[in-house]
Amino acid sequence: MVTMSVADNDEIEQLLIRCAAQDPAALEQLYKHVAGTLLAVVLRIVRQRDLAEDTLQDVFVRIWVNARQYDQIRGRPLAWMISIARYRAIDLMRSQRLAVPLIEEDLPEQLIATDAEPASFGESARTKTALQHCLEILSAPQQRCLVLAYQEGLSHEAVATSVGQPLGTVKSWIRRGLQSLRRCLES
Amino acid sequence: MNHEHEELIDLLAAEYVVGTLRGSARRRFERICSSMPAANAARSRWEDRLAILALQLDPIQPQARTWRAIRQQISATTVTPMRPRKPRGRWLALAAAAALLAIAVWLVPQWTGAPTQIVAVLGTDAAHPQWRIERSADAHQLRVTALGAMTSDPRSAFELWALPRDGKPPVSLGLLPRDGNAALRLNLAQSLAVLAAGKLAVSVEPPGGSPTGAPTGPVIMLVAVTSSS
Repeated sequence: MVTMSVADNDEIEQLLIRCAAQDPAALEQLYKHVAGTLLAVVLRIVRQRDLAEDTLQDVFVRIWVNARQYDQIRGRPLAWMISIARYRAIDLMRSQRLAVPLIEEDLPEQLIATDAEPASFGESARTKTALQHCLEILSAPQQRCLVLAYQEGLSHEAVATSVGQPLGTVKSWIRRGLQSLRRCLES
Repeated sequence: MNHEHEELIDLLAAEYVVGTLRGSARRRFERICSSMPAANAARSRWEDRLAILALQLDPIQPQARTWRAIRQQISATTVTPMRPRKPRGRWLALAAAAALLAIAVWLVPQWTGAPTQIVAVLGTDAAHPQWRIERSADAHQLRVTALGAMTSDPRSAFELWALPRDGKPPVSLGLLPRDGNAALRLNLAQSLAVLAAGKLAVSVEPPGGSPTGAPTGPVIMLVAVTSSS
């Protein structure tokens, strides 16, 4: 029923405020704007289409129920929704301990698309370039481990297996990567 | 808070958001966030910083059934000024019924031995029911029957919550048994919450249940309450 459409943070925030007032039409609008992105986020982690669709359903019910937490949402509605989706998918993988096959066609090689169209969600352009800039400063292994963990929802152990490196090495790459990222973003 | 402490909180927040903080450490950090604004703020900052990695993924068109299911689920919990006719009428009828029952609860507090009504069957999906929840007619008691075995950390507890239709915070109804059945005695506030609930939820909590009075662990199940009429 939906095609992705472009909306900015303000518009999404307004829709969430209407969701908090229990306006189902607002949730439908919100769904049109972000369901495709949230499904992509969830599918990367749970790796089964049916399970991802069920999770997306659960995520939108949570968004509906939690839309009153305005303090959590203000100024960052998209990051808030992405977090709901990611945490839900991560917890699901953990609680069900799903052993799922890797669906290769769903996992593009190029994980960091630095040339991707960046402005579709109206996050501040400055933040975006800053983050992309800071990611590029990380060493290639740091960057790869961080993105694997974040996008695929992999544990330290799973990242280590995936990149064929010892667990301790991977843990320290991720930790140092995060520290560098913060230093870079705060400078 | 000293600088080292701040650094540690920030690193934990970052690992939480990335997803590499796992297991009990993950749950502990959630509890820290709910009681410590600085930790919560650090987590939000990392969520904002890293969201771009999620936005790099190409959107995928969901199946039509997913939106239909969402619409169906939320319609049970909706009071809408936009389409007042049907949902609102239903809500008012339910509210009136709940008020009457509430009065009945006040007047006849010891109405025991009454028949029970299934409120919900909770499970990770329809094929795997986990608990059946019934309530006594006076709504003073829930009878919970474990239908399947929970394969999870034996130290964690499963807490049952009533989610009010008006979006108010969840009300704890007690801890669910891992096997067999259990009776949960409800106080008046809990009884009313059950009668007015749109949904029931189960969260994973530390032993003894949520330390904060609100769900702190992941919500593993969320189901609409079976219509009472």
